[in-house]
Amino acid sequence: MTLQLELGKVRQKRIALTGNHAVALAAKMARVEVIAAYPITPQTPAVERLAEFVNNGELDAEYIPVEGEHSALSAVVGASAMGARVFTATSSQGLGFMYEILPIAVGLRLPVVMGIATRAYSAPINVWGDYSDVMSMRELGWIIYMVSNVQEAFDTTIQAFRVGEDPSVHLPVAVAYDGFWISHVLQPLEVPEDEEDVMRYAPITRSWRKLDVDNPASLGAVGTPEWYFEIRYAAYKALEDSIKVVLEADALYGKMFGRSYGLGSGYKLEDADVAIVTYGSIYGLARKAVDALRAEGIRAGALKIRLLRPWPADFLRRRLDGVDKVVVVDRAFNHGGLVGPVATELAATLARPIYSAYATIGMRATDSAALKKAAERVAKGEVEPMRPFNIGLRGP
Amino acid sequence: MRIESVWIGRGGQGIVTAVYIVAHASIADGFYAIANPEFGAERRGAPVKAFLTITDYFEDSPEPIKNPDVAVFLDDKLIDTMRVVVEAVKPGGYVIVSSGKGPEEVAGIIGRKDVNIAVVDGIGLALKHVGLAVPNGPMVGVFAKVMGLPRLESIKEAIASQLGKAVEQNFAAAVEAYKTAVVIPAAEAGSAKISVEIPTTSAFLTGDYELVGWDQIPEGGLVYPGSSLRYKTGSWRVEKPIIDHSKCIMCRRCWLFCPDDAVLEVWREAKGPGGRVVRVKAIDFSYDYCKGCGICAQVCPTGAIQMVREL
Repeated sequence: MTLQLELGKVRQKRIALTGNHAVALAAKMARVEVIAAYPITPQTPAVERLAEFVNNGELDAEYIPVEGEHSALSAVVGASAMGARVFTATSSQGLGFMYEILPIAVGLRLPVVMGIATRAYSAPINVWGDYSDVMSMRELGWIIYMVSNVQEAFDTTIQAFRVGEDPSVHLPVAVAYDGFWISHVLQPLEVPEDEEDVMRYAPITRSWRKLDVDNPASLGAVGTPEWYFEIRYAAYKALEDSIKVVLEADALYGKMFGRSYGLGSGYKLEDADVAIVTYGSIYGLARKAVDALRAEGIRAGALKIRLLRPWPADFLRRRLDGVDKVVVVDRAFNHGGLVGPVATELAATLARPIYSAYATIGMRATDSAALKKAAERVAKGEVEPMRPFNIGLRGP
Repeated sequence: MRIESVWIGRGGQGIVTAVYIVAHASIADGFYAIANPEFGAERRGAPVKAFLTITDYFEDSPEPIKNPDVAVFLDDKLIDTMRVVVEAVKPGGYVIVSSGKGPEEVAGIIGRKDVNIAVVDGIGLALKHVGLAVPNGPMVGVFAKVMGLPRLESIKEAIASQLGKAVEQNFAAAVEAYKTAVVIPAAEAGSAKISVEIPTTSAFLTGDYELVGWDQIPEGGLVYPGSSLRYKTGSWRVEKPIIDHSKCIMCRRCWLFCPDDAVLEVWREAKGPGGRVVRVKAIDFSYDYCKGCGICAQVCPTGAIQMVREL
């Protein structure tokens, strides 16, 4: 039995799905026209579900079962260059195998949408969820969302089409959702009853530069030193400016569907002395840790970053400038770097020393008590700023 | 000491090897050198340039040279298209040219009286000693002659290291060029300061387009159709085909094999029986685009097509 809800102007229903199936449903409701994907844990159920949609006639799309992720992204880049709305999804080593094509989608300004069920990079082989894959694509020019639950994964995937295809953007968009802790977690979510409402929200603009036999042109020609800088700068600038479109698309989504997320969210930050900053599914744990800390008289807050690229610097400054001690719980190593990947950028953004912790590496289980303990150590001055410490690591 | 030189040539003329050889030989002589060729044309015949700086002190900056002491042209047909390089040479500097033309004629093309000019038939010497129209060896020899360095023995060592083959032949070409190059000394002192600088733009990017700003370029670097008709590749030629119509049997093998569509089938007036003028089909060449590869002459079954030296 589904519960009928009247949210905003759009009729929605409450259902239960895993993150993978929610992302697949979002792509289907956005009426993607070409899908190319190669299965990899933990993304597999997402692309299997899309294959089913195509097979049973619910989705009128070309599904290209390629022999690897390099081909998967290449195929959707090609289809996008022909003007199609496209989708692919991957994880970890699959993203690594796509790496060569990731900056090509940016340089060609193609609004590819990709789901990433986040997963640790090998070796050792680890099929479980951390963010080492996502963190490795930060500098390539994609818009990158990091979501915190199944509902947000669904909503953000739909928003991704609207943002990427916006005439002022024309960039590929990745929607990262925790491998297993979102991809394989079943949660309730509200979804539009009528696909038409999704298409009203995110009509296929086809406004990007595409190949057309009646108006021939070359896409992907050589960019010699006299041209590359300018062409690449245009993509760089488009990404920087896309933050406005991300916010507008999110606000419109809120109006139509009743849910919006901004560039991130804060929890009890207003009077906080210590803030836990993180991303993905463990934001829920961080909020619980904040409540437990406050029960003990420590004025704590939490913040989750939803948009990794473009980096939401102003948002972060507004929310965190007044907080004395900020600790970032990073979910991927910044090998050889000073502090965690997001901690590095946040310290630069706030222009002051902050605290950096590593957690959930290789999906090492964590809980709100562990995050609370970490924030407590920061609050009590037991750890040094700009010197990473670990949550849940064995050994000295 | 600091000698800054700019070498202008075409893809396939061995310009990269030329600056490597001079740099290598200079280093063997105990100097410092930076040979900094431009890459990217990857096209035989396309204009290329290379920078070569020789110093007697440590230097590791690959900065483009704006006003060289020496400009070396491996192809006299590039003087006009790359005239900015001639104009940017410091007064009292050198312009060294490979040309089959007489030295005075070359000096006239250069048109500067405040620089020293050295001319050698680099292609002729290369053909004589090496059997290839690659004038880099001779130009290395002329450079050594006019600049007084590097030593010929060092050049031989450098050729052995950089080429690894046909060392004696290339060295012989360099030595003959060293001995026979004609040097026309500067007639005037010239002004102390020159206003022209070599732009940092690549030599091979000399198409008929404007270098517009990032906001003017089609998104994604989309390129709309151009036309190869704009690129008169005929200037790349060393030899050109000529045809003896009395031997031509109109088999059209040359037309079929020409990689550049530069073999044309045209109407030609000929004397027919009884002195009547008749129009007949004939083979002709589009010299604007013919690169002088010689395939037409190679495939001609009657020997009607001959390649003749042009440069």
